Amino acid sequence: MDRNVIICRCQEVTYGEILDAIADGATTVDGVKKRTRAGMGLCQGKTCQRRVQQIIASQTGQKPEDVLPATYRVPVRPIRMGVIGGNKDE
Amino acid sequence: MNKKDADVIVIGGGIIGTAITYQLSKRGKKVLLIEKNDLCSGTTGACDAYITPHTKAAGFSLDLCIKSQEVWKDLEEELDADLEYEHNCGGLQVCQNQTEFDLVSDNSEKLKAGGLEVHMLDIEEARKIEPALSEKLRGALYCPSAGQVNPFKTTFAYMKAAKRNGAEFKNHTAVTGIIRDGEKVVGVNTDKGDYYADAVVNAAGAWGGEIAKLAGYDFEILPRRGQLIVSEPVKPIIHTTMQTGNYMVIKHHPELITDERVKRLGIGYCIEQTDDGSIIIGFTREFVGFDKSTTLESIEGIIETAIQHIPELADIHFIRTFSGFRPYSPDNKPYLGPVDGAPGFYMAAGHEGDGIALSAITGVVLAEMIVDGNTSFDMDSFSPNRIFNK
Ligand SMILES: Cc1cc2nc3c(=O)[nH]c(=O)nc-3n(C[C@H](O)[C@H](O)[C@H](O)COP(=O)(O)OP(=O)(O)OC[C@H]3O[C@@H](n4cnc5c(N)ncnc54)[C@H](O)[C@@H]3O)c2cc1C
Ligand code: FES
Repeated sequence: MDRNVIICRCQEVTYGEILDAIADGATTVDGVKKRTRAGMGLCQGKTCQRRVQQIIASQTGQKPEDVLPATYRVPVRPIRMGVIGGNKDE
Repeated sequence: MNKKDADVIVIGGGIIGTAITYQLSKRGKKVLLIEKNDLCSGTTGACDAYITPHTKAAGFSLDLCIKSQEVWKDLEEELDADLEYEHNCGGLQVCQNQTEFDLVSDNSEKLKAGGLEVHMLDIEEARKIEPALSEKLRGALYCPSAGQVNPFKTTFAYMKAAKRNGAEFKNHTAVTGIIRDGEKVVGVNTDKGDYYADAVVNAAGAWGGEIAKLAGYDFEILPRRGQLIVSEPVKPIIHTTMQTGNYMVIKHHPELITDERVKRLGIGYCIEQTDDGSIIIGFTREFVGFDKSTTLESIEGIIETAIQHIPELADIHFIRTFSGFRPYSPDNKPYLGPVDGAPGFYMAAGHEGDGIALSAITGVVLAEMIVDGNTSFDMDSFSPNRIFNK
């Protein structure tokens, strides 16, 4: 695959940057995320996490299902802050 | 005599451990950093990134932060990396009412006496700096020299620069014991084997108390949880770093708080916008052990205050919540330096909510202590040995 292919669209992280992160010591999806921001975008990794997992697997010789996925973070979907925090002016 | 794996072993791969590793390697020491998980897997990977002298207690803590800023200023060039460091984005401590304003004004006098430039602004003036602020607020303390930085980028940049100087990093390796030869500390046991060196540095952050126990010392370092919220990326609406006027009370004197929810959860409010447009909003200060969860009550409380300060947040979505553990010490000062009775053992832990800001100077002073045996300025107030005088 070309190093310039975008793997995480939300954060525009390329295949090459993910390879560099793995070379740098990342062995988990969180490890790649901390080094590249892949998975930190608007979709919170829903689109890119599986591909990142596969790339780590192929580079480190693990099975994709053995690569630790990202830590799950609340909320599941983006929420408008006014809904939670109650806009006192309304 | 045992084999030697390095001149110095550093325990913990957060911003503190990597800063020390870099500064030691720059002074010609062979360093081995040992990290239980991965770099940035502890508090450094779950925090805000303010470098704010005006949130430090006037006196030694403020002085240390100002010294740290001097190191920060040249760090991007020195490490040859983009750290998203903003030296003078400025900081506001925003007051909702007159009581908060009076309290913050009092503190501003102490900060001024300590040599820091700060101004008390009415809300009209504060809104000139930060137009998104609600006009219903009372005013703010303004510190022009406050800054911010990217802690991930800094930690990895320290690692890369240290590696260029010959330092070695062992991730996924947990320290399980401290090896002594008589009094002297000469190495560590880990789940992957034993390693030996002339000196061992405890930079394990909130876990620093556990590591010290392995050497037989009882440093009270407690995890103080902070919950944070991250928004979708939006256009720049926040330019400074901000926190509520009651910040110093929550941090240093939680016993004085009267509001029940604020007291129980240590809910305050702070906000910053990162280079990619995400807004990070905090915070809580809770003693709940190493429980990493986030709670609806706290998230609600944080967002509620945030919207009171910045009404347009109500229409912005949040996409993630997370929490981190501030390494709390009872006197609100980190333990920095050699430990009496254990030659070769150094503490560099307990930075509470200031570890990012103070990392730069922590790296320098620990390297000075280990290499030269003394520091370029007085560090007595931070000596770990203060626990023996209680
Ligand atoms: C919500 C929140 C907001 C904050 N905001 C700010 C801010 O705006 N400005 C600021 O300056 N500071 C802030 N802080 C504080 C700052 O994040 C911390 O002080 C700092 O990250 C501590 O760094 P550290 O390297 O000491 O700890 P850590 O980053 O936690 O590193 C310690 C490392 O030690 C490792 N470790 C633990 N046990 C072992 C073992 N047995 N063997 C090997 N390794 C081990 C851990 O895995 C960890 O990686 C905030 C903190 C929180 C929680
Ligand atoms: S594609 Fe990676 S976070 Fe959305």
